[in-house]
Amino acid sequence: MTAVAQAPAPAPSEGGKDRRNKARPRTPAEWVMLVLAVLGALAIVFPMLLLLLNAFKSPQDYANSGPLELPQALSFEGIKTFWETQNFPRALWNSIFISTMVSIIAVVISVLNSFAIGIGRVRGRTWIVLVFLMANLVPQEMLFDPLFQLYDDMGLLSNPWSVILTFVVIQSAFGTYLLSSLLGTFPKEILEAASVDGATRWRTLRSVIVPIVRPTLSVLMVFFFIWTWNEFLLPLAFLNTSDSLTVPLLLEQLNGERQTDTTTLIAGTLISIIPTIIFFLIFQRTLTRGITAGAVK
Amino acid sequence: MKYRITAATAVLAAGALSLTACSSGDGGDGGSSGAPADGDYTGETLTVMHYEGEESAMGKAWNLAIEIFEEETGATVDLQTTAFEDLNASAQQLFDSSDAPDVSEYNKGNGTAGQLAATGVILPLDEAYETYGWADKLSAGIDTIAKYDENGVMGSGSWYGVPNYGEFVFLYFNQDMFDEYGIEVPTDAAGIEAAMQAFVDEGVTPLTTSAQEYPMGQLWYQLALSQADRSWVDAYQLYTEEVDWTGPEVSYASGTLEDWVGKGYISKDASGMTAEDAGLAFINGDAPMFYSGSWWYGRMLEDVTDFEFGIANWPDTTLTPGSGGNIWVVPVESKQPELAEVFIDITMRPEVQALLGESGGLPVAADTADITDPDAQKLIELFNEVNERDGLSFYPDWPTPTFYGDLNSVMQGIVNGDVTADEANTQLMDYYESYVADLR
Repeated sequence: MTAVAQAPAPAPSEGGKDRRNKARPRTPAEWVMLVLAVLGALAIVFPMLLLLLNAFKSPQDYANSGPLELPQALSFEGIKTFWETQNFPRALWNSIFISTMVSIIAVVISVLNSFAIGIGRVRGRTWIVLVFLMANLVPQEMLFDPLFQLYDDMGLLSNPWSVILTFVVIQSAFGTYLLSSLLGTFPKEILEAASVDGATRWRTLRSVIVPIVRPTLSVLMVFFFIWTWNEFLLPLAFLNTSDSLTVPLLLEQLNGERQTDTTTLIAGTLISIIPTIIFFLIFQRTLTRGITAGAVK
Repeated sequence: MKYRITAATAVLAAGALSLTACSSGDGGDGGSSGAPADGDYTGETLTVMHYEGEESAMGKAWNLAIEIFEEETGATVDLQTTAFEDLNASAQQLFDSSDAPDVSEYNKGNGTAGQLAATGVILPLDEAYETYGWADKLSAGIDTIAKYDENGVMGSGSWYGVPNYGEFVFLYFNQDMFDEYGIEVPTDAAGIEAAMQAFVDEGVTPLTTSAQEYPMGQLWYQLALSQADRSWVDAYQLYTEEVDWTGPEVSYASGTLEDWVGKGYISKDASGMTAEDAGLAFINGDAPMFYSGSWWYGRMLEDVTDFEFGIANWPDTTLTPGSGGNIWVVPVESKQPELAEVFIDITMRPEVQALLGESGGLPVAADTADITDPDAQKLIELFNEVNERDGLSFYPDWPTPTFYGDLNSVMQGIVNGDVTADEANTQLMDYYESYVADLR
């Protein structure tokens, strides 16, 4: 999954190419940058190449050749085994459902919290923000046991909502922290103009503030989605039945006690990054815009 | 493997289903006498959890057991397969929750099943052992890992689990490479060193192993065992008395490994290799010898295509690393403890055990006459030889919960030349005593 965080990196080079004056020949510095960018892109594509090379080897072929060699014959055994033994569509749906719910709810809560802290300037807001930040620093291992007991009592084990609730809290703690400082610098004039026009607080939030910070919110939403998608430890604890697994948990199922069926694992990894790639093609723009996209100067 | 169709309808429904199914299981289990296998459990569900691959010997045998179980009891099985690491991380919580399976495979040993037994997360099976007579089927050495005392130390106390299979560690060798260089397959300890020297002279690293994972630790233990007797094993594994960390057993093991690394019998690369890497070096035909466990056997039969490989017990030793396999346990929150016992009993039946052996596993209660596959026979023969000399001595990392990592780091030190054999022994003693001193 490391590829996920790296994938947007080549984008700036593309953007740079568009803006370059096409008539002017490249300067040596530009050539150096270009070579570096190509090398960087190769380094990023390399793991995917490894996956592609090895996903189509039979286990015997894999065992008898190096990981960089071409397959002796195209074998779909790994992909077939993965598809037959694991319920991938179900896991994909679980992952999408959980990540989408978390990103939407967490952003809504972050906006409401940071409206109170950043715009409303409630008393003790510095401390409140600090507490939110600390909530983000709690190691997940510490949450493991108490939350497990809680969801057990609530009957939410192996239910996607156990993971959704947990990560809404964790992600919105970060979102609140970030948005609060952003809204703390929100121009007074705009707010005053709104109140002169007779806007209520709710109206100000909905029609003035949210549209202005929308780029930041969409970036936050995408980040929450990815972070939740990649979560491992807490979902591992809460989701125990085979029907409730998420994609990273499903891949973990392929690791044996003493040995791993490597070709199946590689094939599974290959299949499971396809949705991530599609996701990036859709949200590439949002991601490269950066997290402070909506900042008002 | 997944049998998802039964449960695929809804996650919630699955939870609700097993909740409503709890009626008959609660209360006096084991009170009924005789094997209640003919009882009518139609409409009930038994949730079975394990982490063996569908194509593994255990996976095949247990699928057969599930079939027999469903036919005889009328109950349906909801099979949940998980991963070893998953269950290792979550069992302590999972087995004590509403999500607990009714019967589950679990990792044997003090740090794992022992800990669950000591904290009351799995149920004692003493009555079931009496009812079904499982103890008679398990040979000594196999049954050690099924009993745990109140501190979670194996070997005595109540029965907590039922092993279906055994496992042990031996030498895999590449017959073609031995033939190519005209080297004899070693049959005694001196022969091993001579053979390895002969390979080194030909420019071949003779022994592939991994210090990052279990293989080299197990080799270290085998070397110590070759100089030890049963009372040393009891001291080391069951804490009956103090282990002499300067004694001949440990000194020989660490000293020999240091020597072998120096002479190039073991590659310096071993410190960074995983067990998978080490095994692949053997399968590739790069290294003529690999010391590892029966769990590789099926894989070797399938993946070794370019040469003939052979198997042999480590020469000149009465003790061998090995044990009963992972065990069936009944979690404390099992809704069907009675049905769970019926299921476990079916896994011990001759036909299920025979299939396990036929598929490359080491059955604990099979009639050897039932097994006809020559490859399976070869393995079972080796295993029987170990059992005849009462050789099963468990694994080096069992004494403390962290000794696996501790031992591997010391092995890496030896391979890298960072520590001498004496320093290695002192380090191991410190790691070992820091946990065991309080238990003795």
